[in-house]
Amino acid sequence: MTSVIKVEDLTVRLGSREVLRDISLEIEHGKWTCLVGPNGAGKTTFLKALLGSQTYSGSITDSGVEVFKNHDRNVAFVPQHPQIPIGMSVSEYVMLGRSKRDGWGNESTSSRKLVAQILKLTGLFGMQNQFVTQLSGGEMQRALIARALVQEPTLILLDEPTSALDLHHQIAVLNNIELLKERGVTIISTMHDITLAAMYAEKIIVMQEGRVLLNGSSDEVIHSPELKSAFENRINVYTLESGRPVIVAKKEK
Amino acid sequence: MKTASTESTLSPIWNWKITALSFALLFFVGILAVSFGPVSLDFMKIIKTLFGLPGGLNGQERTLLIDLRLPRALLAALVGAALATSGAVYQTVFRNPLADPYLLGAAAGAGLGATIAITSAGADLYSLLPIFSFVGAILAVLVSFFISGKFFAEPNSLLLSGIAVGSFATAVQTYLQQRNSSSLRPVYSWILGELTVANWQKVAWSSIYIFIALTILITVSKQLDGLMLTDEEAYSLGINPNRLRVIAVVAATLATATAVSASGLIGFVGIVVPHLVRGITHRVTNRGLLTIALVGASFLVLADLGARTLLSPAELPIGVITAFVGAPFFLVVLRKKRLVSK
Amino acid sequence: MFKSKNFGLLISVAAIAAIVTQTLPAYAANPIPKRIISLSPSATETLFAIGAGKQVIAVDDLSNYPSAAPITKLSAFSPNVEALLNYKPDLIILNADATKALEIKAALEKLKIAVFLERAPDNLKQAYSEVTALGRITGNLTGAQSTISNMKSRISAAIKSARKTKKITFFHELDNTLYSATSDTFIGKVYKDFNLSNVADPAASADSAGYPQLQSEYLIKANPGIIFLSDAQYGESISTLMKRPGWNGIAAVKNKDVISLPEDIPSRWGPRLADFYEFIAKSISQIGTKK
Repeated sequence: MTSVIKVEDLTVRLGSREVLRDISLEIEHGKWTCLVGPNGAGKTTFLKALLGSQTYSGSITDSGVEVFKNHDRNVAFVPQHPQIPIGMSVSEYVMLGRSKRDGWGNESTSSRKLVAQILKLTGLFGMQNQFVTQLSGGEMQRALIARALVQEPTLILLDEPTSALDLHHQIAVLNNIELLKERGVTIISTMHDITLAAMYAEKIIVMQEGRVLLNGSSDEVIHSPELKSAFENRINVYTLESGRPVIVAKKEK
Repeated sequence: MKTASTESTLSPIWNWKITALSFALLFFVGILAVSFGPVSLDFMKIIKTLFGLPGGLNGQERTLLIDLRLPRALLAALVGAALATSGAVYQTVFRNPLADPYLLGAAAGAGLGATIAITSAGADLYSLLPIFSFVGAILAVLVSFFISGKFFAEPNSLLLSGIAVGSFATAVQTYLQQRNSSSLRPVYSWILGELTVANWQKVAWSSIYIFIALTILITVSKQLDGLMLTDEEAYSLGINPNRLRVIAVVAATLATATAVSASGLIGFVGIVVPHLVRGITHRVTNRGLLTIALVGASFLVLADLGARTLLSPAELPIGVITAFVGAPFFLVVLRKKRLVSK
Repeated sequence: MFKSKNFGLLISVAAIAAIVTQTLPAYAANPIPKRIISLSPSATETLFAIGAGKQVIAVDDLSNYPSAAPITKLSAFSPNVEALLNYKPDLIILNADATKALEIKAALEKLKIAVFLERAPDNLKQAYSEVTALGRITGNLTGAQSTISNMKSRISAAIKSARKTKKITFFHELDNTLYSATSDTFIGKVYKDFNLSNVADPAASADSAGYPQLQSEYLIKANPGIIFLSDAQYGESISTLMKRPGWNGIAAVKNKDVISLPEDIPSRWGPRLADFYEFIAKSISQIGTKK
């Protein structure tokens, strides 16, 4: 019983297009792995396959068990564009996260205690009766993270958790996600911003056009030629004095 | 619902006292409805007759209560519950607060079925009318499914094909009416909604279908909340969104088709009542479906009471009452809830 | 496909009229009704003409003739069963075209009130049978018979006096969007009795009930010699007709043979049918005499 997610010859076809082709790799539990790559690389589809809701050919096993339609796992999914229910209060929205553990509509007293705690932790307690539709971008992301936290999952999948946020909120959200890692949750996220990915993730998977170019530790990947070729050599990788890498796009004509 | 959270525990999401209250509401509204009408009946005698106690009504008065008023009130309750519940379910499934039970072409299909019955069946049309409109509603929804192709990958594509099917059915209906002008009055009257001549037979068959549909919906009501999120979010929380959507739409359509075939097209109940309940309870969870059903029942029983008494001895079409009451109510609730974000 | 449906519809309607009149012997066995409610304006007129007026306690809101009739707010087309009950009637005359007529009849009979379903007649013969039927169930058979013979003699006199040997074309206008009535309708048959030729007949297949909408162009081409305005009560007259493009050239307009029909009379199939025939006869005899 290994503590990895094992992907073998994974291929996903959407319509007539092959979105993921022959992917084989391993993702370690307990670590934060980040998927990077240009648009259309298949990052979101890969996340959905890991979730178990997307049909695929090949195999994905989590601790030895195939993931497709396997509801025994407790996996949280934070989409890039969540569907925001109209008229729902923040507390009701975050409480939905307990549905996995308590069953739908059966929140226990201990659950309600936990949700109150998490709302305070993410700074949402004061807004609990506001409508979710009234939240700002940053607040919405915090609500999503709060919901994932109350779910107490073993694995969390995040699709572009910071893309719509300003710098200040990006860091706040990523710090919140790190809280999950401290609880032993495996984190797999997709990110546009490779600099941020390098700051937080231990492992980085580089994707391009449905294939995986590289899977390794952040340090290895950041300075690799595969990263540059994934972005068609349109990026520059710099290292700050502190040792932190910064990846920027080249200015082109 | 307004109970404040203590410092360390969130208030419960749903308070079942509200549901109990709505049961009581329906009970009282029901008694009210059978007590009023153009013919005045002694109130105590009404109560005694209803509960089988001695000293109740006799003869023609008894027939009036038992064979006229009671089935009519019951039918109004059933139809009101069916429309309110399926409206709420459609709003959840399509993630659209303006969805109503007649989406997906159900209303137009029922109207076409009714028109076909009226223009071609000759004398016995009124016994065939419910069957034709029922089948019409179901067929229209099936065709919407069929046209939209993917079996619910996209609630929006289903909505669009429902619009197409509805438009087509309406066009055919208009054509048939033009060619058979004697059908204009009966069809128009049917569209306005009629509970005018309910009888125990109608109550019997419509209650069977409506109870089945509502039982299914209330059983899955807790999980329906997941449909308000994206499919992946719902899946991660333990739901099969596609399967649940199909079950919900099938049951809701069954309820709607039965309601329409029993009483014609009564509007507004399906949109207004869900929002009314959600506005008062400040909760959108589908655990409120039972409450919505009960409030919908009370709403329509009251509306029918108005239909019978406001313009006595003439009947006011019930669709007019639900619109007159429903529209302003709806506006008030919308404003209070400020549904438009930010 | 639709033509055979029309035919089927006509046959069923005729069959029902026959059946309705056949069930009357059942009513003859019942005691004479003393508290009649009439929910049909034509039936109201007939009841008062045959001598049953004193047995009538209430009539619907459209029954405005004769003035002695006790008019109420009851609706002829959407009757309210409970409201009817309030009058404690023993016989209700219900319009078969009323919404849910059959179900209302069932509900009333459950309440032990007799119901007579009155259907709009397709022709004169049926109109007379309905007078007889009403006479039978109200115990005024002699009154009915004398009313009928009165109608018959007046109608045949009217037809004789004005029936033209040379066919004149006419247009019966229902409203200003040019809906008309073909010879399949009752009123169409009245015109036919005068040997008039209905320009709406070629459009008969457009509506199973006999009320097609005609095109202005077609009417101009058909050039009717008489125009009967059933919408005169809504403001149509020869002057409004002249304003319609191309209508100046129509023979009826040129010769001022545009006749405004009185309200109500054309839609009542009781004893005032004779009035209608006489009116048409007079109008026809005045053709070609106006300047």
